[in-house]
Amino acid sequence: MKRYWQQGLVGLLLASFLAAASAVQAEELVVYSGRKDKFITPLIKKFTEETGVKVVLHTAKSTALLNKLRIEGDRTVADLYISNDAGNLQTGSRLGLFQKIDKDLTKVIPADLRADDDTWVGLSARARVLVVNNNAKDLAFLKSVFDLADPRLKDRLAITHSSNGSFIAGVTVYQLSTSKAVVKDWLQGMKDNVGGKLFSKHSKIVKAVASGKKDVGLVNHYYIYRHLAKYPDAPISILIPDQQDMGMGVAWNVAGIGISKHTKKKALAEKLVAYFLSEQGQRQFAAVNNEYPTRKGVEAAAEVPAAGSYKVADVPMQKLGMHRIETLDLLDVIGMP
Amino acid sequence: MPVLEQAFEDTPWPLKAWRALARHIGGLGVAATVVVGLAAVPLLFVIYSSSQLSLSGWQALWSHRLPSLLWNTLSLAVLVAVFSFILGVSSAWLIARRNFVGRKMATWLMILPLAIPTYVFAHIYTILFEEDGWIGSLWLNIFGDHLAIPDLYSIGGVTFILSIAGFSYVFLLVRSALAHSNPSLEEAARIQGLSPFSVFWRVNLPLLRPAIAAGLALVVLHVLSDFGAVSMLRYQTFTLSIYLQMNGRFDYQGAAGLSMVLVLLSFSFLIFERWSRSRQRYYASGTQLRRSKLRNASIFEQCLIWLWLGLITLFAFALPLLWMLDWSFQAWQQDLLDAAFWSYVSNSLIVAAGAATLAIIVAFPVAFFHTRKRSTLSASYIQLSSIGFVLPGPVIALGVLSFILTVLSPLYGGLAALLMALVVRFLPLAVQSQEAALQNLTPSIEQAGRILGAGPLENLRRVVLPMISNGMVVAWVLVFIDAMKELPATLILRPTGFDTLPVRIWIEASEESLELAAPAALMLVLGTLPALWIMMRNEKQVVSKA
Repeated sequence: MKRYWQQGLVGLLLASFLAAASAVQAEELVVYSGRKDKFITPLIKKFTEETGVKVVLHTAKSTALLNKLRIEGDRTVADLYISNDAGNLQTGSRLGLFQKIDKDLTKVIPADLRADDDTWVGLSARARVLVVNNNAKDLAFLKSVFDLADPRLKDRLAITHSSNGSFIAGVTVYQLSTSKAVVKDWLQGMKDNVGGKLFSKHSKIVKAVASGKKDVGLVNHYYIYRHLAKYPDAPISILIPDQQDMGMGVAWNVAGIGISKHTKKKALAEKLVAYFLSEQGQRQFAAVNNEYPTRKGVEAAAEVPAAGSYKVADVPMQKLGMHRIETLDLLDVIGMP
Repeated sequence: MPVLEQAFEDTPWPLKAWRALARHIGGLGVAATVVVGLAAVPLLFVIYSSSQLSLSGWQALWSHRLPSLLWNTLSLAVLVAVFSFILGVSSAWLIARRNFVGRKMATWLMILPLAIPTYVFAHIYTILFEEDGWIGSLWLNIFGDHLAIPDLYSIGGVTFILSIAGFSYVFLLVRSALAHSNPSLEEAARIQGLSPFSVFWRVNLPLLRPAIAAGLALVVLHVLSDFGAVSMLRYQTFTLSIYLQMNGRFDYQGAAGLSMVLVLLSFSFLIFERWSRSRQRYYASGTQLRRSKLRNASIFEQCLIWLWLGLITLFAFALPLLWMLDWSFQAWQQDLLDAAFWSYVSNSLIVAAGAATLAIIVAFPVAFFHTRKRSTLSASYIQLSSIGFVLPGPVIALGVLSFILTVLSPLYGGLAALLMALVVRFLPLAVQSQEAALQNLTPSIEQAGRILGAGPLENLRRVVLPMISNGMVVAWVLVFIDAMKELPATLILRPTGFDTLPVRIWIEASEESLELAAPAALMLVLGTLPALWIMMRNEKQVVSKA
């Protein structure tokens, strides 16, 4: 009996060795991806078709994957890391998990949409905007995201819960554009306005505004167009906030990619980055999710307000990582649900 | 002799201590020590990391986090325990004491919810409760705008999900205890003029205390370690908060500090539970072969019984199953079930079967050591082996990950880390059911084997293992079911590109791809059914645990 166990154990160990060995093949890239599968697989399929390089997508939450990368250290099998939040990417850079990407590749991307040491680069950008119901009354005063704290919006406002990554990134931008005190009052006001009723997903916010249950919501811009693509007659429109003369502008955030410090396939990894940053790749990013391509000269989808047609908050993306913890602390202090 | 002593003194002290220990506890004890040592790896990780936490760090945790976390977690545990008690004990009593049409099927219906993980319940019910969901739209039709649809993102919602997902444990243990309890006591009480309800209250309930306590303990431990439902419903318990501390703030020390508090909480609960059970043992007197006779239920009673059991089944199994079938059908029609989907199924089965097999092998020395050489040491081993129940999955995963990377790094990248984490997590299930099975094995049987000339190994193979094989099967099945459903550790430790059903459900659910989440959930349920069937067949073994 015992011998069988031993054999079984040895077999198991062998199996796990084999599994480990087979994971490392020549023309194969392992990508830790915190991005939704459906937004990334079309591009990867295309890349594999064109180059013959197989890509293994290991999907989980961005933050959990960053943790994994950190603990694995030089034992990691990841060649690249994709996150939907600049804050995570910059945290990865700070922790020394990435290596420099060739300047020739990154230079097509504006400097404020990548790390200043080129350890990560933005792939697509999204804007924090307001979605309003066209039939809602008394919304003329609404010009800035800070107006969302106005008591006139009591029970009319829809926001996500405060552990949402886009929400956190937005708050960080507002804090850097104004001050902690302003943002603190604003959060408190919103907290009073929503009265504990929060939304778990942005898509549900848009739905609630479209149905008239709520009058205004704070969302990423593409959720509006995703809803309109499904229901073209939905009575909603986009309101681009903070465009007054002294307004801070719209908060942007990017999804981006970094090359693992410990990859043994840097050249291959840069090939994937190059594909993502190519005009073709960038157009695909714009197509799958109505986001803004980060590359200069590639336009977003036609229905999306053109980049450059409105003012964007003057906060370099890498700052999102540097001040993330401050934002979390602030949310904690207020007890933002 | 002096020479030997000399040699002994030359060896370094850890080796010396180890040898002394080995001599003292024997080969079995050594094996048990190794297993418990490995199981304690995540705990050591937590102790080490939390020792790095500064005083101000502790103060920050104490002032910002702990009070609300303690309140949230404890109130949830109490509420879920109360509802599981109501659901589990009532259904068990009806099925064990009344004869009605479809009684066998009812038993099955009460344990089927075990096949559905909490995060699947949470996911499905959040959809059903939406305005255009099945329940939400029905609600609006009935109540209109007068009464808002219940909000699942609240303690009430989490209680609902965890109660329907967990009451089956109470049901199983209480039903077995009722089926094997001595009917004379109840009859005596009836003859003395007590009403059926008073009999239940004054005779059954006190006698059932050990079974109820054991069932509720399982429920509470599942609540404390649940990650799936609380993260989907964003209810801040210790487990979720620890996860956010690690993953939102990259603050391992803070996370370890919170884990430490949770461990102390759970351990004191476990010790209290064991202690209260040790004082509450009921022994059947002599002639206990007579089974209690089921009273036939009248037609009216049958209607009431089925109304109640049907209501439970509706929410705990039928609705989720219908939802899965509905969306799976749509996925099937859209040809979404490709080769990748079937690989998730086989991955899940491989991992769960591997973890269950490993778990019953390594649990054996611990359980056997405790039954044969009962001592403070062996008892503390049993306690330590339950570490998997008290630490949250994400923390176990990180502990195992750090351990494998530093000590066994060649093993990293394959299934080893995942299997080790799953074994650590579910070792308590294996140890407890084996311990229970071993208790039925009187030492004299073994001694007889030895007297007749069998060596220790032959004795093990020909006497001990055959006699506890049922317990082994139950242990295997329990671990298999939980390993099939395990989410947080699998998310972190699965080999690259190796997705299991829970992982896919979690990914698809967060992307709101219902037609992809549903078939995965359905396969998970189907994959668990054979295991449940085996468990029911061997059910008698579970009883002795109580």
